Parts: sequence; C-alpha cells; structure tokens
Amino acid sequence: MLEKLVFQGLIGLSLAMYLWLLSAGLTLVFGVLGVLNFAHGSLFMLGAYLAFTFYGKMGWNFGLSVILSLVGVGLIGAILERFFFRRIYHLEVPYQLILTFGFILIFDDLVKMIWGGVAMIPPVPSFLDGNLLVMGRPFPLYNLFIILFGIGVAVFLWLALERTWWGRTVRASAFDREMASAIGVDIPKIFTLVFVLAAMLAALGGALGTPVRVVAPGIGTAMIIQAFVITVIGGLGNLKGAFVGALIVGVLTAYGILLFPVFELFIIFVVMGVVLMVKPEGLFAR
Amino acid sequence: MARRITRRSLLKGGVAGGLVLGASLGGLGISRAKPSKGKEPIRIGGQGATSGAHADYGWQMMAGATLAIEEINAKGGVLGRKLELKFMDEELKPATAVKNARYLVTDWGADFLFGIDSSGSAMAVGPVLPELNKLCFFCHAATHRLTEELVTAKGIKQIFRMVAPVYQDALAAWVFKDDSNIKRWAGINCDYEYGYVAWNLFKQNMKKFRPDVEFVAAAWAPFWTMDFSSHISAVMAEKPDAIFATPWAGEGVMLLRQALLLGVFDKIQVWWQGMGGSVDLLEGISREVEGNKFQGKLWATARYIHNYPDTPENKKFVEAFRKRWGKFPNYSAESSYSTIYAIKAGVEKAQSVETAKVAAALEGMELKTPAGSRLIRKEDHQAIYTVPAGRVIKTPDYPLPILGDLKVIPAKDYFRNPPFEPVAATK
Repeated sequence: MLEKLVFQGLIGLSLAMYLWLLSAGLTLVFGVLGVLNFAHGSLFMLGAYLAFTFYGKMGWNFGLSVILSLVGVGLIGAILERFFFRRIYHLEVPYQLILTFGFILIFDDLVKMIWGGVAMIPPVPSFLDGNLLVMGRPFPLYNLFIILFGIGVAVFLWLALERTWWGRTVRASAFDREMASAIGVDIPKIFTLVFVLAAMLAALGGALGTPVRVVAPGIGTAMIIQAFVITVIGGLGNLKGAFVGALIVGVLTAYGILLFPVFELFIIFVVMGVVLMVKPEGLFAR
Repeated sequence: MARRITRRSLLKGGVAGGLVLGASLGGLGISRAKPSKGKEPIRIGGQGATSGAHADYGWQMMAGATLAIEEINAKGGVLGRKLELKFMDEELKPATAVKNARYLVTDWGADFLFGIDSSGSAMAVGPVLPELNKLCFFCHAATHRLTEELVTAKGIKQIFRMVAPVYQDALAAWVFKDDSNIKRWAGINCDYEYGYVAWNLFKQNMKKFRPDVEFVAAAWAPFWTMDFSSHISAVMAEKPDAIFATPWAGEGVMLLRQALLLGVFDKIQVWWQGMGGSVDLLEGISREVEGNKFQGKLWATARYIHNYPDTPENKKFVEAFRKRWGKFPNYSAESSYSTIYAIKAGVEKAQSVETAKVAAALEGMELKTPAGSRLIRKEDHQAIYTVPAGRVIKTPDYPLPILGDLKVIPAKDYFRNPPFEPVAATK
C-alpha cells in the first residue's frame, strides 16, 4: 500500500506543477494589480499553442520553443495590460469580469481560426523520453523533470520577490499603491512588468505540457477552474498559498483517482469548502 | 399639443410599418420552411463536433455526407430533386444540439437530420424529434439507450442509427475470451455515459464467458482530461494483465502516449482501445506504432475501418474519399456517407420525403454500403453490420497504421437483441 501511495503521490506532484505555474500568475496579478484575470487560462493555452507551433510544426529545439512561446505570450500580456487592463483598475469587479471573459471568447475563437480544432501532439523530446524505477515501477522522466522545474520556478520567484530591489518595489506597490508612488516608484511600469511575468508563467505551464498533454481550444477554461480552487484554498494574492494549494489539489486529485475513483472529481471541492468554512480568507492569507 | 400628436402618430406609423415588415419577413420564413414540390432541393441538415479535441469527427461527417451528395447530385439527385447540405457544430453540448436541430428544421427547412457525436446530445435531440417530425439518422453517438429506450420502449420512430453502437466496444469480450493468460482486467474509461456502458457491457459479457476473470481496477476520466498519468498509475497499481480503455480522439492518443511513458506496455499483455481503430487516433500514434513501442499488444476496433470489408463498394468509397479530401475516411465519414444513400433509398422507395412514409420504407431494409451489408432492424431502427477487431500494426501498403490480424465476429453474435434487458449506465 505504501508503495502505491508514494508512486501515486509523485504522479500527483507532477500534476500539481502545471497547476502551480498557472496559479502563480493568477495570484500574482490579483495580489499586485488587484485584478481577477479570468483570461489567465487563455494565456496558458496560447503558450501551449505557440510552443506547439515552434516545436511540433517547425521542428525546432524544445527549450528554444518554450522560450519563444514565453516571449510571445509575454508580449501579448504587455499589450493586454497597457491597452486594456489599465483602463479598468479603478472600476468595480464586474467590469473586470466582463473584460476578461470577453478575452477568453476572443482567444478561444482565434485559436480555432489559426490552428483549427484538431488536437495535435508532437513527440516527447528525446532526452526526456524514458523512465526510471521508483518503488519498483517505471516513473516517466518527463514527470520528474516537471516536478524539479516547478520547484525551481518557485525558488526563483521567492528569491526575486523577497531578495531583490525589484521584488521589494513590487511588494511595496501591492501593499500601498499611493505611498509607493509618492516615494518615486513607477507604478504603471511595475504593473506592466508584473502582468508580463504572470503571462509568462501561464505560458510556461502550457508550453511545458505540449509533448505530454492534450492541446486543444478550451484547455485554458478547463484549467482556470482548478486554478481558482487553488487560489481560494491558498489565499488570493498569496504566492506561497498558490504553491501549497497546487500541491494539495494535484496530489489529492491523484489520490482520489486511486482510492475513490467513483467520486474523485468531488474531492477538491470538498477541500475548498472546508477551507472556506474554517479559514475563509485562505490558508496563507496575511 | 399639435406637435405631440404628430409625434405620436409618427411613432404609430413606425410601429405599424415595423409590424408589416416583420410579418412579411415571417411569411418569407414560413414559405421557405415548406418548400413547394417541383425543383426545390431536398434539404439535409447535419451536426457534429467540429471544435475541441474531438473536432475531426464532425469534419469527417461533413466530408462523408458531402461526397455522397455530390455523387448523387451528379446523377440527377433523388426523385429529380437535388440534395442540399447544411452542417453545424454541436460542441458536444446537449443544449446546442437541440437548438441546432430546431433551427435546421424550422428556420432552414431541413427535410432530414443526421450526425451528432455525443451520446448526451443524442439523448437530448431524440425526444424533440416527434415534435419536429423529421427523421434523424445518428452517425456516431453510441449509447445503447438511444435505440433501446427511445425507439423500442418509448416508440420514437423518427430515430435511426446508422452507426454501430456501444455494443461494438464490448467486442473485446469475444476477442479475448479464449486467452486463459488474461485473468486480471482493469478499465480506464470516459467519465460519462459512453464509458460507463462500454465497461459494464464488457464486464457482463466477459463474466459470462469466463467466470474466473477479475476486474481489478477502474479509473474514470471526464471530457477535458489533459493528463491521464494518475489514471494509468492508479490502475497499474493493481497489476492488471490487460487494460480496457475508452477515451477517444485526441484524448485517446494522449492516454496511449502517457501509458508508454509510464512503461505500461512492458507490464501488460493486451491493451484494448475501444475506438482505437479510428483514423485520427491511428494517425496520432503513427510514430510509436512504427517504432514498435506498443510491442504488438495494442488492440482496437472502430465503428468501421477503411481496410474492411474487401469489397468493390468499400474500395470505391475509400478511393473517392481520398481523392476528394486527401485523407482516409473515418467511421463517422462512412456512416454519414451511408446515411445519405439510406435517405436516397428510403425516399425513392416511399416516392416521398414524408417522415412516416420514409420511416416505414426504411424499416427492415438491407443496404449495400462501404461497411458491408447494413440491415436496418425494424424493432429498434439500429443498422446491423459487422466491424472486426484487430491488432494495431504498420504495413507498407498504407501511410498510417491500420488494424491487422482481423478477428471477424458476426454482428448478430455481439449486438444486443430486443427485448432488451437493462444495462446500468452508471459507474
């Protein structure tokens, strides 16, 4: 039994990392900019499609394709923030909802027009195609790579936000916009940068999945629901919360499939419900 | 005061004008919905999934139907009338499918309906058909309930199913019943009606043949599952000898790819991929089949495969389809192609497009189709024809993998027969 649990837990951990990359950006944008970006899942989908184009269609190097997709989606993020989101910061939440929901529809249709509706799957990069024995069972190298990569991104984000001048300005702007502005922080610039960083994190999650996960129009919407559950569990706007929330949701999903296959879908919502009752502001809220 | 009256009368005039205009437009709509005899085309309205991970199926329906319509129109149409096609996206959503069906009949003036990929959509459209009073030929939706419950029990005679239903997936029980090395089966199935019924039917039949077989694990994957690794590892924890899987289209491809990464094919003897004989799925795993990654352990069937049967009708269809579209026809293409010819046969026999007359003409009719002889069973309006199962292989004759080592079991042996005993459509 222990062997089963450890193996399934590791599989769950790799699921969690895609969710973490998606939720990190969602929670960052909410924490700093104060916007709940429903279209964040669409950026995840665009990252997957761009990486697919470079890696699957053009046959370029996998790492290069991922980087190019980050640059592409980062650019889209910059345009979104500069020309659209900036106009609604001072408005009420329903306006954010309408704007971001509109972008979901636009991006979904755009993807259908450009790439067509058919799912397309490129090969796994050769250096990650294989497995190693964990508890006597073959565990995919790709999943191990995703786990390490996700943890790496978490460490990088933590260092960037806690240990750099830039990170301190970001935190200051999140804490008190007016005070930060008064002492000379260029708030619009910080906001654009944070939004671009969030877009790139989403794109990273999408791009890394292209060789092993389904890429199709609508995957962004399918993922964003889980990301919301995660940010609610961890506390909206809290990066540490998003990381732990993603781990909880990913690992519990995997255990649910192993232990309670008949009502597995239901489990993460039970957890969310319990968190909302016990600590409505989320596990890691300040 | 005078000005006010003028304004009011102006408004009245405007409203009246609008009413007249609206009425005349409405009138136009009605006159279009009831085409006069003579040279009006026979309108055939179709719908299927043309977006998302399952989009190829809807496209194939449109392609198969278009080919048949072009062939028939080139020879002068049906009863001297041309056929006209309109095809819509059902999005695998029951509400959209019902809306489409209503639009096609009442606004566009369809004489016949066909298509529909999702079983959920089919079960929603079926009950609306008596009210629309048009025949609908289902070309993919596979739930047994469509014909067993809606046609046989509820008597909705407007439903015809031209495609093999979920009975086809349970063929695995016949194919592997004599393999005494396989004792432990596990299932990775769709978390919706199709998956439940396929798995239950398979278990039911397998138990009858082999009381010693155990069903050791089951994992359920809903639409939009992007990552199957936790489903695969959960069932592999129980060390099964064989896997029965139903995810289809792009999701089926991903499932098989992830199973390879998890080293599943080193551990098991057989993997049955219900609709793995579908062209899009075979295309998706082409590289891996060529590299012998599945070690000859991957078996599948479909609702038609282009390399069976070896008849002139089938060869002619496959060649014409490849010439027209540059692709191999999938089963939804064949069933849609055969549907158009079934409509032609029904209308010609009835000498009318009237719903009741065409339905009566089609009951018990035997049609020569690319998939072989199709008998439209009177009791449940289900077309009966045989599709073999086979091992997924690569041969130099085809650019894509095909099913080889074909196991041909006659449809009458594995199709369910009326009166139907209920099968659970639950996990």
